[in-house]
Amino acid sequence: MGGLERTPTMSRGGRGPMDSAFRHHSADPHFGHRTIYCNDHAANLPFKFKHNSISTTKYNFWTFLPKGLFEQFRRVANLYFLMIAILSTTPISPVHPITNVGPLVLVLTVSLMKEAFEDRKRYMSDRIINSSSIDVLSGRYWIKTPWSKLSVGDVVKVYSDQFFPADLLFVSSTNADGICYIETSNLDGETNLKIRKALERTWDYIDEEKAVDFKGVIECEQPNNSLYTFTGNLIMGKQTIPITPNQILLRGCSLRNTDAVVGVVLFTGHETKVMMNTMDVPSKRSTLERRLDKLILLLFAILFCLCFIGGIGSAVFVSREWWYLGLAVRDEIEQQYDPGNRFSVAILTFFTLVTLYSTIIPISLYVSIEMIKFIQSTQFINNDILMYHRESNTPALARTSNLNEELGQIEYIFSDKTGTLTRNLMEFFKCSIAGVMYGTGITEIQRAAARRTGVPIEEIPKSVDSIREKGFNFDDKRLMRGGWRHEVNPEICKEFFRCLAICHTVLPEGEDLPEKIVYQAASPDESALVTAAKNFGFFFYARSPTAIKVRESHVERLGKVQDVEYEILNVLEFNSSRKRQSVICRYPNGRLVLYCKGADSVIYERMAEGQNPYRDVTRDHLEKYGEDGLRTLCLAYADIDPRKYEEWNEKFIQAKSALRDREKKLDEVAELIESNLILLGCTAIEDKLQEGVPLCIETLAKAGIKLWVLTGDKMETAINIAYACSLLSNEMKQFIINSDVKSIRDVEARGDPIETARVLEEQVKRQLYDAISAADELQLEQPGVDLALVIDGRCLMFALDPHLRGALLKICMRCKAVVCCRVSPLQKAQVTTLIKDGAKRITLSIGDGANDVSMIQAAHIGVGISGQEGMQAVMASDFAIAQFRFLTDLLLVHGRWSYNRISKVVCYFFYKNLTFTLTQFWFNLGAGNSGQRFYDDWFQSLYNVLFTALPVLAVGIFDKDVSAKRAKQYPQLYKAGIDNLYFSWRVLFVWLFFAVYQSLVFFFFPVSAAEHGVNGGLDLGLWDVGTMAYTCIIITVNLRLLMASSSITMWHHVAVAGSIVSWFLFIFFYSGVQTKNRQDNIYWVIFNLMSTWYFWFLIILVPVVALAGDFMYQGFQRWFFPFDYQIIQEETKFKDQGETHDLEHQMEMMAMLEGPSVLTAEEERSLAMAQLPRERTWSKHTGFAFDSPGFESFFALQEGVPTPARSWDVARRASMTPRRSASRSETRAGQISSREGSHTHPSSITEEDVQLGDDELRFSRNNPFLQTPRKD
Amino acid sequence: MSANGASTSDAGVPAKKESKKPKYSKFTQQELPACKPLLTPGWVIAIFMIVGVIFIPIGAVTLLASNGVVEIVHAYHNECTRNLTTREAKIAYIENDQLDKTCNVQLRVTKDMDAPVYVYYQLDNFYQNHRRYVKSRNDQQLRGDSVNETTGCKPEATYNGQPILPCGLIAWSLFNDTYVFTRGGTQGLFVNKKGISWKSDREDKFGSILPSNFPNNQRDNTSLIGGGALNLSQPLNEQEDLIVWMRTAALPTFRKLYGKIEDDLKQGDTISVQIQNNYNTYTFGGGKKLVLSTTSWLGGKNSFLGIAYLTVGILSIFLALVFFLVHLRNPRPLGDPSYLSWNRKAQLTSNSAH
Repeated sequence: MGGLERTPTMSRGGRGPMDSAFRHHSADPHFGHRTIYCNDHAANLPFKFKHNSISTTKYNFWTFLPKGLFEQFRRVANLYFLMIAILSTTPISPVHPITNVGPLVLVLTVSLMKEAFEDRKRYMSDRIINSSSIDVLSGRYWIKTPWSKLSVGDVVKVYSDQFFPADLLFVSSTNADGICYIETSNLDGETNLKIRKALERTWDYIDEEKAVDFKGVIECEQPNNSLYTFTGNLIMGKQTIPITPNQILLRGCSLRNTDAVVGVVLFTGHETKVMMNTMDVPSKRSTLERRLDKLILLLFAILFCLCFIGGIGSAVFVSREWWYLGLAVRDEIEQQYDPGNRFSVAILTFFTLVTLYSTIIPISLYVSIEMIKFIQSTQFINNDILMYHRESNTPALARTSNLNEELGQIEYIFSDKTGTLTRNLMEFFKCSIAGVMYGTGITEIQRAAARRTGVPIEEIPKSVDSIREKGFNFDDKRLMRGGWRHEVNPEICKEFFRCLAICHTVLPEGEDLPEKIVYQAASPDESALVTAAKNFGFFFYARSPTAIKVRESHVERLGKVQDVEYEILNVLEFNSSRKRQSVICRYPNGRLVLYCKGADSVIYERMAEGQNPYRDVTRDHLEKYGEDGLRTLCLAYADIDPRKYEEWNEKFIQAKSALRDREKKLDEVAELIESNLILLGCTAIEDKLQEGVPLCIETLAKAGIKLWVLTGDKMETAINIAYACSLLSNEMKQFIINSDVKSIRDVEARGDPIETARVLEEQVKRQLYDAISAADELQLEQPGVDLALVIDGRCLMFALDPHLRGALLKICMRCKAVVCCRVSPLQKAQVTTLIKDGAKRITLSIGDGANDVSMIQAAHIGVGISGQEGMQAVMASDFAIAQFRFLTDLLLVHGRWSYNRISKVVCYFFYKNLTFTLTQFWFNLGAGNSGQRFYDDWFQSLYNVLFTALPVLAVGIFDKDVSAKRAKQYPQLYKAGIDNLYFSWRVLFVWLFFAVYQSLVFFFFPVSAAEHGVNGGLDLGLWDVGTMAYTCIIITVNLRLLMASSSITMWHHVAVAGSIVSWFLFIFFYSGVQTKNRQDNIYWVIFNLMSTWYFWFLIILVPVVALAGDFMYQGFQRWFFPFDYQIIQEETKFKDQGETHDLEHQMEMMAMLEGPSVLTAEEERSLAMAQLPRERTWSKHTGFAFDSPGFESFFALQEGVPTPARSWDVARRASMTPRRSASRSETRAGQISSREGSHTHPSSITEEDVQLGDDELRFSRNNPFLQTPRKD
Repeated sequence: MSANGASTSDAGVPAKKESKKPKYSKFTQQELPACKPLLTPGWVIAIFMIVGVIFIPIGAVTLLASNGVVEIVHAYHNECTRNLTTREAKIAYIENDQLDKTCNVQLRVTKDMDAPVYVYYQLDNFYQNHRRYVKSRNDQQLRGDSVNETTGCKPEATYNGQPILPCGLIAWSLFNDTYVFTRGGTQGLFVNKKGISWKSDREDKFGSILPSNFPNNQRDNTSLIGGGALNLSQPLNEQEDLIVWMRTAALPTFRKLYGKIEDDLKQGDTISVQIQNNYNTYTFGGGKKLVLSTTSWLGGKNSFLGIAYLTVGILSIFLALVFFLVHLRNPRPLGDPSYLSWNRKAQLTSNSAH
């Protein structure tokens, strides 16, 4: 719902500027520049910039009713009932309009109230935001002004901890060097501070006296939604200064650690970058609900048949023979009964009957289901103590209530590895320096491997004084406390440590003592590396924009500590196409060095010829570390000739101030200097498995759920993790499809990409077909053997090609586990889509990072890992849980129950309305199909909304076939959901059968029993019999519900008894009064009835006879064809375990409630670590386990349009991919480059962009940032 | 809770955060006490037994009651048309105003009938439940709240431009055969026509107003093809024939109470009935029956309830026995894990492997 209002926002603010930005980059560089006159209100007026107030509401006072109603009537069911309501006001209706209008109005009122409530919340938060004040320079003074009054070109002053009211150009700061710190957690969830630096030329304009004089013209890009780019120039006097993203302060961020800054407003209101990122979360509907549509169609078909039969029947019936019907005088006969025109009789009666039988479509079904799901998600899922993660203080969160029952039918889970299966708690674990391996630890994976192979490993006990802190889990005396000085190659060691201490973008915080300092790093890997340097005696403690200060120990002699300041000349930042990061620094003694760290492949390509003796031995070590599941990184350096550097630096500055294609140019320039590297060694970082992952995976596997791991990691790492979490085992037959084989490397070496692609494709094709035939054979030889497939991203690209896709699907469907490694986010989504659309199975994606967003959105259900700083995945997800292992509870308990409940509710609705409607049909067969109603109007209109409404809610909320504990103990029970056992046509047919049977009983029993007079010789009329039948229906239908529910709580009793009692109260009152202008059909009926034996005998007989069918069926079914859950129920009940298991459960609950009194050492550590401010779980610097096969756009081009283009990234990507754009047609360029963008930078900016929309949603709606600034 | 600069600089110290741990309640943890007897064979058998044990006596009692009722049913619609054979002739006969439609019928009392003996007329194929018919009345007018109100009464709303009272098709098509009973050829039997309608109808639904402008009472009414006249000098709430007639029936075959004979009828008595065969059921081929019936505490002769109860009861006992035997011969151990689908599957595969 929430999304709908955003569509106009998108089209108004989103697409327009996007197009212009695109043109701006691709066609006309001067198109759409925005010119802003700083501090000159009058000069900016002609441009008619947007004002700064925002509105996220859907409606206003006037549009609420029309627009809200329009939204409601977009639902087909509501439209249908509107039509019926209109029909019922015409004379052809057999019922009073109230019968159909009443329930419709009720349903609409409930929905509209919900809308109004939600919209009001949005309005209030908008108002708070718009009215918060900011200092604006007016004349010579800072004047407090509400945000909404701000306009482009204004000069504003923002104080510490305030939020930026609009996108600003950073002019000056109270800090020295014109820097300020900002927190961007509202944008991307990162809490680490970022530095922004003002242009040197504008540093002085901080006080009002000076700021008044700040005059300048800004020429910049049009509003767009690319958060991490900005192109523009500041023209001051004759000087033109390029503006970089470094000078931009975005709305949504807040100022930290800086007293105040002055800025000029660039973009306002809905044109700010953060607002332009606002986008819809695609709304998902559950599979069950889509099946429900089919059921509704079936009901329509039944309705049509009933009305058709009735229409024909009535046309045949009408005749002047029935003189008492007064059909003799033509003038006085309504068209509907005119025997002279039987055709119109048929048509009109058809519509009469449509109105009469409209109850066959349960009007309250959707409202009831919505309510049930709402309670399920807000009360149960969100409040489940067993899904609360104490360490991160995170409960589970259902972000949508649409999909609860979908959780009970998942067959495929696609999981990210890092941060999901593993903790993403990076710890420096081992390293190899100058060809020597250091570090004594043994990883989980090594242990798992040892268990697998049976070869014992020798555990080296930790040294007593080993240092253990967050990010550092390394123990080797040879390196600690200056021990490295005695190693074979201390010089290399020193360089290695310096590289660790200098080459990074970490910000130190807090006191400059090793124990107190906190590193703010973009990725946990980086922080781990810097922490390692600290522990090796190279303590990085301060950073200024131009220098890094390191406190080095033991360098000259053991125990000596000295502070050294390295001048930082250039930082060549990491991005995922470069896969490396370099820093050029000048030693105090003038030595110029480039330190570089990066992926092995890129470092090895750039090594100096003949100067790298450790090249091969280090490669072996890299492989070894990879096998142990460690993340590796190569470190290298190069001495630089000062003259050469000057030359290069000029090019670099040029590239940096380029207005167009800046990033591409920077990459190219960086390439020039990052050569002739000398390898120092490599680092190995451990990424630990999350708690409980192997057990959870095992449980899910038993439940018939297939888990696929999709990771950007290397194949060895991925396989090892898969083993460690018991996804793969030695008993499985594994098929590995890998592009990293010699034949392919050879072809690649020849450097012809087309040839490479061809060979690769051949290879993949052959391997796929081989695998299929092998699988066939295996199935014959050893049925029951499990298969597994491991495929890498590059092969996957070809395997996903339309003509191989079938084969891929075929082999995948047979595999119990699939591991895809080195896949890009787009590929993750493609694989998900393959199963979702190709195999029509229900899928769930779980991930924690921005690179998982696409797959989270592609799957039927997206689950985000919450409780960590990164919010991207959570914001795109449907459910958020803190730990992977909570999937067990989410799926096996909540999902399963929800599915069971909703299935039951829907079936029951189907049954109760069909039964009710059919009685009227039987009656009409004996009433000339005239459309005469069997019941009073009010009976009919209150049937759904009053007399049968509550009990079904009780089932939807409380029904529980087996306890949570049992559901987890017997995961196989979950299979029923996968096979859709409870909402299949077969089940519906049974309900249908008994609905027909019961309706016959309800009609014929009262009618037959009433035939020959009652006590006192009096006779019963139409309304007596109708009321009698209705009473029987109410009693039976409510009792049937008790039979349908698996557990009966107090609320069931209350609801069922309440419904029946409410019927009697109603009828007592209703038949006791006489009304004007209506027929008194029901007057005193119930009292007359109750004075007869007939009534009392029937209300015993009819429910028993009606329910006997169901009872027998249920008895038979349980006896001879028991469902699994029924056996478990019996076991629980009769095997005398019920008591103990409940007790166990209670104990578990109590434990959860109180929390453990004593923590084990390990727990204590993890608790302490968890409470430390976390690094975000992904970043543009994220792991050096790169996942960016650059060949994917080629594939995308071939395939057509596999995924929607990410239009918001067009501007940026168009500028970044010149290599390919040449060969592309103009019209497709944007689309393709954007697609490419989204995969070549999986863990980087692109994905942040993707996600920001949701972040924005979050902060503008739920978390008005002004109201509650983050305090972390 | 505004953040300040210090909060970031000493971020290493974990801030005291409010715990987001969900509060425990039986509701949110879905642990509300619940019970539900499992429909195990034992329960199935027991419930069938219980139903049988309760239903058979009720069935027996009600069937006895019904069987105790003595009923004489006599169809006279053909007999009283002077044995005209064609439908057209019958219609012509019934529509002829001038003919004497008296018709004598002899009934034999086969069993003693204790007073009161109820006299019913039964019509077949008469759709009193047709939509056009059912709504063709005006309850306000009948109550006497506004006697000129004829909404919904078309086409019998007005006659000669004046509102009809009581208006509508139902009143207009009032049944007008009359029966005069004599026993043994001489002794007249009085038929009491009071108290044959529901009290609520008499007292609240029909007012103390005199009928007026009723078409069937007009000599010049050419459309008279059925339908009886009313006593214009008797208020509506005393004309119980009309009140009974206007309580429309649910099915096209229905009985309506004509009156009560408050004398005992003895076995072997011959009752002769002089029928005024006025009512036109011949156009639509409907039957007319005269019914004399005693009642039991339960009502008229209707074995439906008794048979239904007995059938259900006997079936229940039967099923209980069958189930019991099946259960003895072939019991399913309750909660036996080997019956779980995955275990069975595993067994199957292991069997086939061997």
